[in-house]
Amino acid sequence: MEEKIKQIQQEYTKKIEEAKSLANLDELFLEVFGKNGVVTLLPKDFASLSVDEKKTVGPLFNQLKTTLEQTLAQARLALREEEYQKREEETLVLDKKAEPKKRTGHLHPLTQFEKDIVKIFAEMGFQQFDAPEVDSDYYNFEVLNMHSQHPARDLWDTLYIEGEKYGYKPGQLLLRTHTSNSQVRIMEQFKPPFRMMIIDRCFRYENLDARHEHTFDQFELVYVDKGLSMANLQYLSEQFLKKIFGPEIKVRLKPGYYPFTEPSAGIQGECIFCKGKGCKICGGVGWLELAGAGMIHPNVLKNGGIDPNEYSGIAWGVGPLRMAMLKWGIEDIRTFLSGDLKFLEKF
Amino acid sequence: MKVSKDWLKELVEIKDMLQVETLLPLRTISTKDVTSDYIELDMKGYNRADLLSMRGVAYEVAAILDSEVTFTEPEVKDYIWTQLAEKADLKKLHVVLENPQLVPMYCVVKIEGLKVGPSEKEWVKKLADCGVRSINNVADITNLVMLEYGQPLHAFDASEVTEETIYVRNAKKGEKLETLDGKNRELSEEDLLIADPEKALGIAGVMGGKNSEITDQTSTILLEAAIFDPISLRRTSQRLGLTSEASKRFYHGLTKKRLLQALDAAIRRYQDLGGTVTGLTISGGLEDTPKETYLTLTKTQDLIGVKVTRDEVEKFLEKLHFQLKETTEEKDYIKWQVGAPYWRLDIDIQEDLIEEVARMYGYEKIPPQPLPGTPPAKIDQKLFELVSSLKETLAAEGLTEAQTYSFYTTKVLQALGFNEENKAILVKVANPISSETEYLRMNLWPNLVEFIDKNLRRGAEDIAIFEVGKIFPPNPDNKLEEKFAFSIALMNGTDNPLSELYQIFQKVNKKLSLKIEDKPNEQTDPLGLFHSKRFIRLSLDGKPVGGMAEVHPRVLDQYGIKNRVAILEIDLSKLL
Repeated sequence: MEEKIKQIQQEYTKKIEEAKSLANLDELFLEVFGKNGVVTLLPKDFASLSVDEKKTVGPLFNQLKTTLEQTLAQARLALREEEYQKREEETLVLDKKAEPKKRTGHLHPLTQFEKDIVKIFAEMGFQQFDAPEVDSDYYNFEVLNMHSQHPARDLWDTLYIEGEKYGYKPGQLLLRTHTSNSQVRIMEQFKPPFRMMIIDRCFRYENLDARHEHTFDQFELVYVDKGLSMANLQYLSEQFLKKIFGPEIKVRLKPGYYPFTEPSAGIQGECIFCKGKGCKICGGVGWLELAGAGMIHPNVLKNGGIDPNEYSGIAWGVGPLRMAMLKWGIEDIRTFLSGDLKFLEKF
Repeated sequence: MKVSKDWLKELVEIKDMLQVETLLPLRTISTKDVTSDYIELDMKGYNRADLLSMRGVAYEVAAILDSEVTFTEPEVKDYIWTQLAEKADLKKLHVVLENPQLVPMYCVVKIEGLKVGPSEKEWVKKLADCGVRSINNVADITNLVMLEYGQPLHAFDASEVTEETIYVRNAKKGEKLETLDGKNRELSEEDLLIADPEKALGIAGVMGGKNSEITDQTSTILLEAAIFDPISLRRTSQRLGLTSEASKRFYHGLTKKRLLQALDAAIRRYQDLGGTVTGLTISGGLEDTPKETYLTLTKTQDLIGVKVTRDEVEKFLEKLHFQLKETTEEKDYIKWQVGAPYWRLDIDIQEDLIEEVARMYGYEKIPPQPLPGTPPAKIDQKLFELVSSLKETLAAEGLTEAQTYSFYTTKVLQALGFNEENKAILVKVANPISSETEYLRMNLWPNLVEFIDKNLRRGAEDIAIFEVGKIFPPNPDNKLEEKFAFSIALMNGTDNPLSELYQIFQKVNKKLSLKIEDKPNEQTDPLGLFHSKRFIRLSLDGKPVGGMAEVHPRVLDQYGIKNRVAILEIDLSKLL
């Protein structure tokens, strides 16, 4: 048996070292470690050995395994390096005249959906604004009427950024939890009246499952003018939901709470699945909560340098991800960012 | 907050419970769950402290149903201690508040002669409806009273409290306490404790200690009713990851009035169990400050967008127990001075009152009204137009848009050759959900290559994808940078995918008139991420904007990709 082990080791070490390609090595791997590989089958013969023999053979067998594994790994690396070297000799070859392959392209479903949203509001005079995804506690919470121990912060489980090297104290730099971090930034940059919209990524500390994502898009309107009212808010909500789900959808406001709007409102659309009769998806109530909004809190206007006695504001937000799930009947929220080409090619 | 239906019926005249179920979400707050026993209010993040008590909910329900509550507000002369004070044998218990500003109110009552046993059926049902487990009659009283009044109470076994003396003090360094849930808690000097001269007895407002827990042998208790500083309490509760029914109520806010009512109600229940009050201390300088604000009819109508009348405003607010006093001097300008009921700690400004009016009017009745004025002047939208036209053009050219996470996974980090040392250049999450969300991406292409790997494993044979998104590149001056980038990755099964990628680039460059110039790379790539020759630098007006290259096989091997992959990445901010 000892002889046999020695012989296998010599034979395959040599074969591995002489292998010319990675494919060769793959074949050799199978010959040794595959289902019927020489090393795999070897322990079958151990049964006939005496206890003493087993004591010597055991360690030898283990050593054989490691040696061959290492030799294979080294050979792979060497062959790869050889291959890498060969590639270094390749030159830049560009066929500038040829046409790229014909393929059918696809926009990401969220892009398609967001394009529609942006279009609806652009027609009403809203313009896009970009606010940072990594932002300060100041813009994300503080100026929105939420001091550091405000109970409403429970609504947002926050991912913080190590900000010391950028000059922030611990806990002062974060991944924005909502697009509302744009509100005071907009007010600082533009004089009212203005109609702005923000659409982009937000982040929360969430463990992934079919209903929870740590990364998601939000859409938000930040609208300041003289004489804005909750009736305008109802108008915006209706315009939006009718264009997304069809003109027959009923839309209504309900009480809600956000620290940065007063009054605050939830926006409900009649359940698109049961048409208001009550079903599993709407929890039997016939209505789905589709967006959140409110009249911008006077403190927030003041923080943005706007006189709340002169102007009022509307903040209106929706989660495109959830809306898209409803619209297309997608049940797993993770689908959108999971990187599944087959899913993306459906759109 | 789970609101027991049976209990609610004791507190408000209700003809039809279905009406309560329908109106609560329309007038007050969303409900999470409705069963035959309870209605659960969705309190997450809400500011209505009053809705954390059955009495508060009762007032609200009475208002929205246009009904009445069945109870009355007690007066000072009714309190049991006013009556007991006439008897001279009531001992004052020794209470030391080391940090009085963190303890606006602290009351403790000694009750003797109790016999611990199971609670009566009705109590168990009420507690269960509200989602609280029955423990024993003595402990259950504290919970029943908390649920009814919103004021947390705690009962200590008096025999475990040395010298029957209470200290409210901050924890000492390294101090530990086993809490009622059986866990050993390591305390910090910021934590406020209830203690006796020798040891800690509980974490103020969060959870009591095991050492002074009510047991079957308990016959004398020290009953505590207090108000602690919500901010300090919240910090402790967050640090320990410990929220309780009590701590929630503390940080939503409490009032002296309700505290005294709760204390009185609890004492009476202990007396019913056969207990005798033998000591009592009420300390702390808290006085409830009545909240007053003003309201004008014009602002109310303007903000709601509905011509509510003077009578409606008065009726709605009075139904909610606000006190209105008209203060108008001018004609046609109606203004009220409005006092909020003491249990409505959420009312501060005029807009809060307007929300109350809108709620009672009915949010769902607010009609749509087209936007006033004309749209403001157009501002610079180049970035968004570029992003949008890029996406459209690429999709039209046959590419599929991917969206990948803003993080580098551990696999990507490894493939890019990041180690503990050079990871420091990346933007780092301080509290990652897992090691897969610890570092923000500094480029898009590595995530697109990961996307290719995933789909190769699923059997894809030709992958042409792109992404437009934010990246967080390292900055030598330690400035935080965040910008839009756009990236393409191509795996077309050939051994020179860069050639086709170049064709795609040419088309997009021309279609969108980007005027990007390309030049073969002449330097060596110090990171070894790309093929040294199949590497093209891109620039605009002589300034670098990005590049395109075949990914180095060494990198691809790390992903487990055997095919060749070419990528392109451009900094969009440089194109504007």
